[in-house]
Amino acid sequence: MVKVIVLLGVIFSTVLGAEEVDSVYERNCIPCHRYAPASLEKLFMVYLKTYSGELTLKGALKAFLKNPTEEDSLMNDTFIENFSVKDKTTLTDKELDEAIDTYWELYDVRKKLK
Amino acid sequence: MLVSKNKGTSLLRSSEKRSLLRFLALYFILVTMILSLLGVFYYQSQEKLMFSNQRTILAEYANKQAKALKQLHNDFPHRTTYPRSNKYRSAIYDIEGHKIFSLLKHDDIKFDKEIYRIGNSLHFLKTLDDYYLGTKYLFIEVDEDMAWYKETISDILAFGTLTLIVLIIFGLFFVSIFLRPMRNSIMLLDDFIKDTTHELNTPISAILANVEMMDTSIMSEKNQKRLSRINIAAKTVSHLYQDLTYLTLSHNRESKDEWIDMKQLIEDRVEYFAILAGAKKITFELDLKESAIFIDGVKIARVLDNLISNAIKYNKRNGKIFITLRKNYLSIQDTGIGINSKKVEEIFERYTRFNSSEGGFGIGLNIVKGIIDEYELEISVKSVIDEGTTIRIDFTKGTLDG
Repeated sequence: MVKVIVLLGVIFSTVLGAEEVDSVYERNCIPCHRYAPASLEKLFMVYLKTYSGELTLKGALKAFLKNPTEEDSLMNDTFIENFSVKDKTTLTDKELDEAIDTYWELYDVRKKLK
Repeated sequence: MLVSKNKGTSLLRSSEKRSLLRFLALYFILVTMILSLLGVFYYQSQEKLMFSNQRTILAEYANKQAKALKQLHNDFPHRTTYPRSNKYRSAIYDIEGHKIFSLLKHDDIKFDKEIYRIGNSLHFLKTLDDYYLGTKYLFIEVDEDMAWYKETISDILAFGTLTLIVLIIFGLFFVSIFLRPMRNSIMLLDDFIKDTTHELNTPISAILANVEMMDTSIMSEKNQKRLSRINIAAKTVSHLYQDLTYLTLSHNRESKDEWIDMKQLIEDRVEYFAILAGAKKITFELDLKESAIFIDGVKIARVLDNLISNAIKYNKRNGKIFITLRKNYLSIQDTGIGINSKKVEEIFERYTRFNSSEGGFGIGLNIVKGIIDEYELEISVKSVIDEGTTIRIDFTKGTLDG
């Protein structure tokens, strides 16, 4: 009986641990953008076209997420009228950097061009 | 024996020749530098002309590539193949100067120049306003046939060489104009010596002949000394007269080369100079072996007389003169004041004297050098200040073996 309880405990904790393995990006970015009209992929291309370099893009994105304004938003007016500007992020700087790095790595065009 | 008859008297001293050569070298360097600079300017102007001819075509390629990048950006990531052309190669860089993608042959690109040449290729840079695929800098590369380069270089070499030759001719012309006053002054001095020489002959011959004829046995010791002084003074002037005569007159006479017994000649000349040496209590130490050379007797006598005369003139009182004769060389060493090592090279120049306190025109060693050069012998000088001077003549030609 005791062995069964221990085994169940191990399985339960493993499942919970697996949830924690999800990255900050997956937990905080994907859930909302999954339903938004602008996909993360399209948004990346808009950011890339506007800011060009890795450091410049990451810096601009971080600044916007920490303090989103209509002026700084790259979305069109119709989108903002319908959905307004997003709320300020609740993530720490470290978490924000991690999420943005993951985002860059995922859609970096250098790795995809051939 | 073949002898180069170097009769033409060079009017320029070697120091003047050196100055002349230095001037010509400096002139040549300056002219070459100016021509090189002009060549560089011409090359740059031709390169700019080529750039302006190519700019329109390259700008057209760049616009075409920018449009293709825009299309790819909009289709991304469904289409990921970078746009290529068979007319040019291209590369894209982001705002931070990091490479996004490149097809260039030469990847060492420049962000601060719109158009430039690298190897056999031309690079054209276009800066984009919209950063499609993150592109801020778009580079277009085309191969170049280098025809303009070959033409420009051949133009520079042809015109440069022609101009250099013309300028060198001008330089030589100017130098000859600048040298004319110097030549005139030397010729004037030579003419003066020539004229003076004629006037010396009769009185010196009279003095020497009368001194020889005088019966010294009936003279008092005091008068004998006085006569000896007159003899020394007359011989000194006679020696100078012979040098001047050789320099101005004998130079143009035909050489009469014959086998000269050097041992006998040296002994004769030492005897001739004995009274002169005795006045300074200088003694000769002779170490003579048999030697004969095929040479003009008057000329080799002038060589010996001048070397012995200098060894006496610049020796100290109670000094010594060592004369060594071997089959292939003769050396005359004195125990005199010596010559500064820096001045050793100049001693053979005409009108140069070891020491201004001694008399003379400074023509003796110039005569020696002229004869040595004429018979292709070798002369070397070793000197130590306050210890003495050794002059050695090597009989490289004209000996019984030579």
